Amino acid sequence: MIRVDNLTKSYGRHEAVRGLAFEVPQGQVCGFLGPNGAGKSTTLRMITGFLSPTTGTIHISGVDALAKPIEARRHIGYMPEACPLYPEMRVGEYLRYRAELKGVPRASIAARVKQSLAQAAVADVEHRIIDQLSKGYRQRVGLADALVADPPLLVLDEPTAGLDPNQIRQVRTLIGELAKNKTVLISTHILPEVEAICDRVLILSKGKMVSDGRPTSLRDALRSQETLRIVGRGSKGAFEDVFAKLDDIHVVKLTWRDGLVTGLLEATGEPDASERVFSAVAEAGLTLRELSRQQASLEDVFTNLTTSEPEAPAARGDEEEE
Amino acid sequence: MKAAWTIFKREVHSFFVSPMAYVLLTCWLLFCGVVFWILAEYYAGQPMGGGAQDSPLTAFFGGTTLFYLPMLVFVPLVTMRLIAEERNRGTLEVLMTAPVSEVSVIVGKYFAALLFWVAMWVPTLLYVWLTSRYGDVDMGAIGTGYLGIFGIGVYYLAIGVLMSAVSPNQIVSAILTFVALAGLFVVGLGQYVFGDEYRELFAYLSIWGHMEAFSRGVVDTRYLTFDVSVAVVTLSLATGALQARRVEG
Repeated sequence: MIRVDNLTKSYGRHEAVRGLAFEVPQGQVCGFLGPNGAGKSTTLRMITGFLSPTTGTIHISGVDALAKPIEARRHIGYMPEACPLYPEMRVGEYLRYRAELKGVPRASIAARVKQSLAQAAVADVEHRIIDQLSKGYRQRVGLADALVADPPLLVLDEPTAGLDPNQIRQVRTLIGELAKNKTVLISTHILPEVEAICDRVLILSKGKMVSDGRPTSLRDALRSQETLRIVGRGSKGAFEDVFAKLDDIHVVKLTWRDGLVTGLLEATGEPDASERVFSAVAEAGLTLRELSRQQASLEDVFTNLTTSEPEAPAARGDEEEE
Repeated sequence: MKAAWTIFKREVHSFFVSPMAYVLLTCWLLFCGVVFWILAEYYAGQPMGGGAQDSPLTAFFGGTTLFYLPMLVFVPLVTMRLIAEERNRGTLEVLMTAPVSEVSVIVGKYFAALLFWVAMWVPTLLYVWLTSRYGDVDMGAIGTGYLGIFGIGVYYLAIGVLMSAVSPNQIVSAILTFVALAGLFVVGLGQYVFGDEYRELFAYLSIWGHMEAFSRGVVDTRYLTFDVSVAVVTLSLATGALQARRVEG
């Protein structure tokens, strides 16, 4: 559906996107994840033809988007970040205009507008002036616009930015519905969003792709790096001796208070570090009161990939797997 | 080019649902009305003579600076929003990612501005009617006068569209257009200053020269050709400016 090769965009000396290459097959919901300024919007703008790349190629449904931009854009329904609309128009009027602009045949405009109003759940404001709508409604009007010509590919740039939790849930449900028969490319910096709706997630950092995988496999990638929290009875020194013998256990913090030792451990080696910690402590004749594993959340993965050096071992391993 | 028609319709629609259009039209008609009244008063005080050649109407259509100065202000106000507003609001992104070419955007918006220009002048037909009730009116000369005005619209509005295409917002667009038009107007006055060998060059640029011929009832096709050529060149530049935006970001 989308094929991107060696995509680069420079603004003067600043390289916003550097050598991006990926492919999105038909029917996939693909999330673009990254901190602000990672190049997500720039990439989406190049795919939709709003910006032309400095180097590289883009194919949409097999059409070379740089050689035949207008034909390529017929396949795309795009909702830009912040969702700009004409404030003086009425919702229905706007959608009819957009349908006509996108080349929907005159005879089917009314039906298409009606359907997109229903799909985006904005039928009740059809006759309202856009300027008077709330942010949530405007966002959905933008979505209705993206849908109005019934394109096979939807490109949505931060579709839930600036919405309240209820509206976010509505928009996500909507995207989930649409994903059943469309290819969706969505950008966000909100992690639960990716987990909630995406089949696949591409993480961008400083214009480069640092990870590509399923949201769950991303989390698995960080499984090997577990964080354990322990509370035990005994002296601080005794616990320190026990953990010193375990090679793959690294003590982050260990404190003693009122006969109880509280510690935070990082395990980098094989899985099931908790079992080894338990048996080591028991062998030393010490008592454990609590042992819990702190699951690596997507947030951790994200921070890890985008703040530390991009060549984090976890991310690399995952890429090879794909 | 079907997209140009769609864009034209939306543009005209948004002109006339915004208060801007009515504020502009009201001010414009107020100004024209006062000018016509002053001219009518002036000619009423003059001894009879000259006939239709020398009436408040001929004076109104380009006989005085009162005709040209408001144009220099009103044209920028009509064209400033066309593209600069889309850029400022961010709607340019939605527009340019629809399957439309830059040319159709420019053409659609330009013709919408031209229609507004016509709408500005239609009410002045009332002056023709009023004058015709109290004296002779050379309808041929009035017709060519309006043709001349249309020609000026073709020429000036194209410059306005170009300035709107290169400006980040409406204010900058209005200022650039005003400076460009005022510059051309002043340079055009050169036709009354310089010798014969340069006179013609300046005369083309000058809208004063345009109207002098047209308001006498002479259809000078050289001026119309000039207007259309300027429009084609400036609108091509405006299209280029929109295309360049994709590269610059």
